[in-house]
Amino acid sequence: MIELAGVRLSLASAAGRVDILRGVDLVVEPGSTIGIAGPSGSGKSTLLSIMAGLERPSAGTVMIAGQDLTRLGEDALARFRRDNLGIVFQSFHLIPTMTALENVAIPLELAGAAAAFAMARQALERVGLGPRLGHYPAQLSGGEQQRVALARAVVAAPKLLLADEPTGNLDGATGAAIVDLLFDLRRSRGATLVLVTHDPALAARCDRVVRFADGVIVDRAEAGA
Amino acid sequence: MSGAALALRLAGRDLRGGLGRFRIFLACLVLGVAAIAAVGSVGAAITAGLQANGRELLGGDLEFALIQRVATPAERGWLAARGALSEIRRLRAMARHVSGAQRTLVELKAVDGAYPLFGRAVTAPALAPDTLLARRDGAWGAAVDDTLLARLGAALGERIRIGDSLVELRAVLTAEPDRGADAFALGPRVLVAAGMLEESGLIQPGSLVNVAYRLALPAGQRAGAVAAAARAAFPDAGWRIRTADEGAPGLRQFVDRLTQFLALVGLTALVVGGVGVGSAVEAHMADKTRTVAILKALGAPAALIFQTYLFQVLILALVGVALGLALGGMAPYVLSGVLADRLPVPPQAGLYPWPLAQAALFGLVTALLFTLWPLARAREVSPARLFRDLVAPDRRWPRPAYLAAIGLAAAALVALAIVTAPDLSFALWFVPGVAATFGVLRLAGALVVLAARRLPRPSRPGLRLALANLHRPGAATATVILSLGLGLTLMVAIALVQRNVGAAIGERLPQAAPAFFFIDLQPDQIDPFVALVSGFPGAGDLRYVPSLRGRISAVNGVPARDWKVAPDGRWALRGDRGVSYAAAPPDGADLVAGRWWPADYSGPPLISFDARVAEAMGVGVGDRLTINVLGRDIEARIASLRRIQWLSLTINFAIILSPGSLAGAPHSYLATVKADGPAEESLFRAVTDRFPNVTVVRMKEALDSVDKILRQLALAVEAAAAVTLAAGVLVLAGALAAGQRRRLYDAAILKVLGASRAQLIGAFVLEYAILGAATGVVAFAAGSLAGFGVVRGLMGQPWRYDPGFALLGLGAGLALTLGCGLIALWRGFGDSPAQVLRR
Repeated sequence: MIELAGVRLSLASAAGRVDILRGVDLVVEPGSTIGIAGPSGSGKSTLLSIMAGLERPSAGTVMIAGQDLTRLGEDALARFRRDNLGIVFQSFHLIPTMTALENVAIPLELAGAAAAFAMARQALERVGLGPRLGHYPAQLSGGEQQRVALARAVVAAPKLLLADEPTGNLDGATGAAIVDLLFDLRRSRGATLVLVTHDPALAARCDRVVRFADGVIVDRAEAGA
Repeated sequence: MSGAALALRLAGRDLRGGLGRFRIFLACLVLGVAAIAAVGSVGAAITAGLQANGRELLGGDLEFALIQRVATPAERGWLAARGALSEIRRLRAMARHVSGAQRTLVELKAVDGAYPLFGRAVTAPALAPDTLLARRDGAWGAAVDDTLLARLGAALGERIRIGDSLVELRAVLTAEPDRGADAFALGPRVLVAAGMLEESGLIQPGSLVNVAYRLALPAGQRAGAVAAAARAAFPDAGWRIRTADEGAPGLRQFVDRLTQFLALVGLTALVVGGVGVGSAVEAHMADKTRTVAILKALGAPAALIFQTYLFQVLILALVGVALGLALGGMAPYVLSGVLADRLPVPPQAGLYPWPLAQAALFGLVTALLFTLWPLARAREVSPARLFRDLVAPDRRWPRPAYLAAIGLAAAALVALAIVTAPDLSFALWFVPGVAATFGVLRLAGALVVLAARRLPRPSRPGLRLALANLHRPGAATATVILSLGLGLTLMVAIALVQRNVGAAIGERLPQAAPAFFFIDLQPDQIDPFVALVSGFPGAGDLRYVPSLRGRISAVNGVPARDWKVAPDGRWALRGDRGVSYAAAPPDGADLVAGRWWPADYSGPPLISFDARVAEAMGVGVGDRLTINVLGRDIEARIASLRRIQWLSLTINFAIILSPGSLAGAPHSYLATVKADGPAEESLFRAVTDRFPNVTVVRMKEALDSVDKILRQLALAVEAAAAVTLAAGVLVLAGALAAGQRRRLYDAAILKVLGASRAQLIGAFVLEYAILGAATGVVAFAAGSLAGFGVVRGLMGQPWRYDPGFALLGLGAGLALTLGCGLIALWRGFGDSPAQVLRR
């Protein structure tokens, strides 16, 4: 599902050149779950945004679902995300002017699905938000917002789920419920999951964990190993 | 669902976030569109009024105008057979109170029993036509403008003398349907019966009398057909035929030009507002960065993002344009009452679709022009920013396709401004002028930002904060200097031009110009006149030339009405002009082409012609003009062109013929005399006593009339410029409000760190003062330059610089910026630092 080879990313900033990724190789099998752990600033999230085609590596190849993302143009990448990816962010990133239902329906609307709203409603019911379809993000709690984000990530049945610290902005109990839901949804859809977290317990729930430090993978281990 | 439909839907959802950001956006568009729509609608209403009242204005379905002669019995008989006929004669004459104390120039109009064919002359008291003007107890009756009563110190019922006739002032003339046809009156109107004029002795060979025959046609007869038949029946009559549907062409052209000028000023206001529209959209898109990033992360293509926000902006622009049209479209209803008193016929209040459509188009194109840039940049937002703060910076410049679209919108706006202009040459001057000013102000804004950045850091924290606020990212500096600066530049330029025109009319002209023009001096009066004036203490610089009236009837054999002439030269072909002849060139003549004829020239007729009119007519040395003088066509070849300074107010003739060309034509003389203060009044009395038939135009009074007209025009121009300034203030307010949150945040942190309120307010006042002063200085310089260009370049007048006047621009810039800034600051500055930091 995922094949990264020699991925590097350097950015020019006002303070000078910053090497964020310094040669990452990674292969993830379809249907598996992988946790990416490491301290803040180690480049985990950047790696995720490269897998999502949101950012172009300075060097290396990024094969996702058989597509070389480095060869796709901006709009082709957008279409690729629409058709293959679901993303869950640490800060939820819901659109404040849209209701829960509309937020979830967006990926389907972008894909031109006729039954976008019916499917969005089902997805929200599945995460337990059936009664809150017409609420705006500001009217929802943090946990509820992240459930909306989960519903949005899975509504189009993506092959690959990318989650960036999905519990980072939530308290312990709420976070645990969200993680359960995330794994539950993944299993029922058979999607591949890449989970970025600095929480070792959460990472341990994945089939495999890679540890990140300073822009490179420092440890690859099967879960529980 | 198609991309466009989805974009529209997303745009609608996004607008739920509130329209707060768009208040300035809407206000700017509404103001600019309303100004253009109002100017265009009022212009159209005036033109419609002129058109609808064409018959009243002209005094008939047709008018046949002759100069210095009446129609022959054959001509008159032909006309009388076509419909109801009325004969009107007009000339300027002197009116004297019988007591002999007061005298003044009047516009005499002698009418027959059929007058007026259309409309009604209203007098107070209302008298039957026969009692109003008929001779009674040895005096003819007259209806007069009330200004005549004031000038002569006379009351109704008293008697005056005009020429040799005794005239009783029987009523005040309150409405005269056909007055609009006389463009420029030098004195009050005196309406009398035809018989009075016959008796007055004012009609002498060569007297400047205009004779008009007006026809009311029976139903079903077309004026055009009758005009054509008249031309065919009397090809050599030399009359000028006008039909009612032409309205008052001179007045209409004037209205067109004024409308155009005001519309261009309105367009400037719209462009100034466009800057505000652009900043509003930029601020809006800055708020939407996260939404754009989310949509892109979810798979929305960049084009969809652009489309979504373009639709949003267009929807709001349509709302703004609609509001502007509603406001501007009402202007004819609101203003027709005010304008009715100042115009010969009231404007026709109504909705005029064409000016509204123009205003709408201007509004939409301007909105597009100024929003494409921020919209095109918004599509470049990187979704990677959702994961972390450090991302590769977004493109600063939009992609080439969008830059091309921006260029296209700018070109469309310029093309629209030029294409919709009735007078191309003026638009071709104004539009690049505004564009250049725009560029200069934009550059000045960039320089001020650069200077603020490069200046050494002051040690005083307040000053440091003020300077930093001028150049930090998102600072309002460039926007304010551009928008407020454009409004102020226009104000300064207009004030300086008005000052110069005022100085010319109020001071320079009266000094250089003669005190009097004496008209209709008969050949046998010249010698006694010269003797009288030459010996008169305090009078001097006597000049006199033969004077006739003539009309250009053909150009190179082509009838004048078929000859194409640029707008600024049409006046020369429209009516009759003064014609003179001379052996030697006039003093100070500025010959720009050809040569003056030898002093003893006696060959075929030659002409020395006005160079500007020649240019407008597309003729030059060697071309032939046919001049109709007293019904006789004289064909003459152009021998030379003169550049005439009409504003010198000395004797000037557009047409001077070689001596002998007019041999035998009866003519009078025109004389000018200078006189100093006390001599002026006594000379006036001496001449009017001695030569009752001679008309005296006092330059002071004539200039007063001009001044009065100019003052009214100035009012319209100032109002339009004020709209531009108002747009600038709107943009200023918007720009300052946009930076407000950040400023309050800074203030809160500084308060936490121990800054006092006085220190903070001092810093902000300093910032606004620097910004206002910079704007004022730039506007002061650009406005002075523009004013100089208009006065020297366009008007060819000497330039008198009045820095005090221009400094007003600087003061206004300072006051407006400080005022708006402090008002913006007032809101929220009282909040505690904790409140601000929590937000």
